Amino acid sequence: MRDYFIRRFLLIPPTLLGITILVFFIARAMPGGPLEQALMQAQMAQQMGGEMRMGQRTGQGSNITPRQREQLAALYGYDKPWYLAYAQWLGDVVRGDLGKSFRYQKPVWEMIGNCMPVSIYYGLVTLVLTYGVCIPLGIVKAIKHRTWMDSTSSVLVFAGYAVPGYVLGALLLLYFSFDLGWLPRRGFIGEEYEGIGLWQAIGDPAISAPGLLWSLVKHSILPLCCYMVGSFAVLTMLMKNSLMDNLAADYMRTAVGKGMDFRKAVVRHALRNSLIPIATGFGNNISLFLTGSFLIEKIFNINGFGLLGFNSVVDYDYPVVMGVLLLSSVLLLLGNILSDMLVALVDPRIRFT
Amino acid sequence: MSQILPSPLLSVRDLCVGFDTDAGFLVAVDGVSFDIPRGGTIGIVGESGCGKSVTAFSIMGLLPRPAGRIVSGSIVFDGEELASASEARMRGIRGRRIGMIYQEPMSALNPVRSIGSQMMEALLLHEPLSKKAAFDRCAELLDRVGIPSARARLAAYPHQLSGGMRQRVMIAMALSCGPDLLIADEPTTALDVTIQAQILELLHKLREDAGMALALITHDLGVIAQNCAEVLVMYAGRVVERAPVNEVFESPAHLYTKGLLESIPRLDTGRKSVLPTIPGMVPGLKDLPEGARFAPRSPHPKAAAYIASEAYRSVRPPLVELSPGHWVEDCEVVRV
Repeated sequence: MRDYFIRRFLLIPPTLLGITILVFFIARAMPGGPLEQALMQAQMAQQMGGEMRMGQRTGQGSNITPRQREQLAALYGYDKPWYLAYAQWLGDVVRGDLGKSFRYQKPVWEMIGNCMPVSIYYGLVTLVLTYGVCIPLGIVKAIKHRTWMDSTSSVLVFAGYAVPGYVLGALLLLYFSFDLGWLPRRGFIGEEYEGIGLWQAIGDPAISAPGLLWSLVKHSILPLCCYMVGSFAVLTMLMKNSLMDNLAADYMRTAVGKGMDFRKAVVRHALRNSLIPIATGFGNNISLFLTGSFLIEKIFNINGFGLLGFNSVVDYDYPVVMGVLLLSSVLLLLGNILSDMLVALVDPRIRFT
Repeated sequence: MSQILPSPLLSVRDLCVGFDTDAGFLVAVDGVSFDIPRGGTIGIVGESGCGKSVTAFSIMGLLPRPAGRIVSGSIVFDGEELASASEARMRGIRGRRIGMIYQEPMSALNPVRSIGSQMMEALLLHEPLSKKAAFDRCAELLDRVGIPSARARLAAYPHQLSGGMRQRVMIAMALSCGPDLLIADEPTTALDVTIQAQILELLHKLREDAGMALALITHDLGVIAQNCAEVLVMYAGRVVERAPVNEVFESPAHLYTKGLLESIPRLDTGRKSVLPTIPGMVPGLKDLPEGARFAPRSPHPKAAAYIASEAYRSVRPPLVELSPGHWVEDCEVVRV
């Protein structure tokens, strides 16, 4: 078993290599890359400049010089074949350097680092809230199957499932923020607190902790609703159905036949069995929750990891694309291993070799 | 009879059990009565769906809820009415005074918990033992049911044991608190033939050692021949014949019992002979007549006339006593 997991961990680097090579190649092969963007911009700038300096044309047309072109290509790494460029990128990554953003000229690590607190905050809170609500709710629904409580919550859960998170986000914003004005419209935290680091906030007596917290809570209510609404139905119903199956299992009858209280039998016998399918999916949340949803982040203007990835793709900002990809791939792979570990933990029949 | 003999350990009277289904309320057990004396043995025989398991689950109060319920009748165990007993009272009886083993040893044990923890649980529910003492008792019990290196096996999970071993574990668990009555619901049906014999032998031996009563539910009359003093033959929710075991085998009085006996393969018939079967099918539980329910499958010449009669629809034939302790459904078309 230990050997199995060691092997799984050793498989992470080759998998990452495969993923990054593929994406790197596709990015390079795509038309309209950063070089062409830059050339186009340069061309437009020159044309406008040329128009302002009327009559002073050099006769060379609006083209930039081949030398300039080479310089640009070298800047974006387009001066060598893609595999050499990839090797260079990989070498930098191994040394812990993800490169610089084409667009912002900032180190990619710094950009990812800036949105990490936001993403981790939303990821963790969503995770805790979703599991903290869905699992107990699923249990109650299973035990109270076909009572009014079960039916009412089913209607709510499925209605939520039918509405995509970003649609709900737009509706909630419209009502609670614009019409009623109860909640802020955008951002991760109030403007007065922006740009303050976590440690700084804790250490600085001038910043009131409750005020900061309240601002954070006010800003997160609506996005959290949107994050939760999608996974809510799936997890609740998975828990309910899984537990219902196990409540009807023969071993439950055996437990009650031994003289055990039914409720106790649910806790001691059915519950652990019904957590097996839940454990299978748990690891995937790690990457899902951290990478977030760019649509929700966009609607609420939260600068999280999802939005960063999305914007980098739109901007042809390939170093950022590769950095975001690398990080989310690592999380996904680790999540899968975590799932396997959890399943092995709850189900003694599972033995990986 | 009850004045001469000491009161029986278990006395079931006119038990009616039914289930709420999509097709309406279906009666699965219809007026079943029998006694089990202290230390006595009874075999309940019948085809699948005749109500024998439902009878057993009613005694244990393990009917699937809320669909299943006891409609009428009484189940008196050692002087105490169980049919209307509270859930808390039943918890004190289940496992402690009445043990039960089930048809499917594969699924009757919790797959994610060790054998030992499941066995200890049964003990600790009813007896004030330390964990250490309970563990020792479980090892002892496993040893008694013939599981080698019992102490080490307590740490095993159900999937690591064979079907026969699991059934031994179930038996050990059912016996852990020294019950007065053991209900075995088709304990060998899911097992290989060679293992079946071992398990039955084990049950027989343990029963004699502990002096407990045994209710053995099966569809195999052969199993009953060796293990039970009295036989209850059930058909479509009713008892159609009740007799001491040797009388059932020597002179079955009901056509259904006779059919069951004839359909057991025998060594003394010719190799080319065809194994007799009972023609027709077990009726569904919906819209059962009040009359003799075996009549549609009876070869009796008057069977067709009986089925057409009003009596078939609305008159329930009583049980008559042919000889001491031998009772049969009183309807000529289903009698031998």
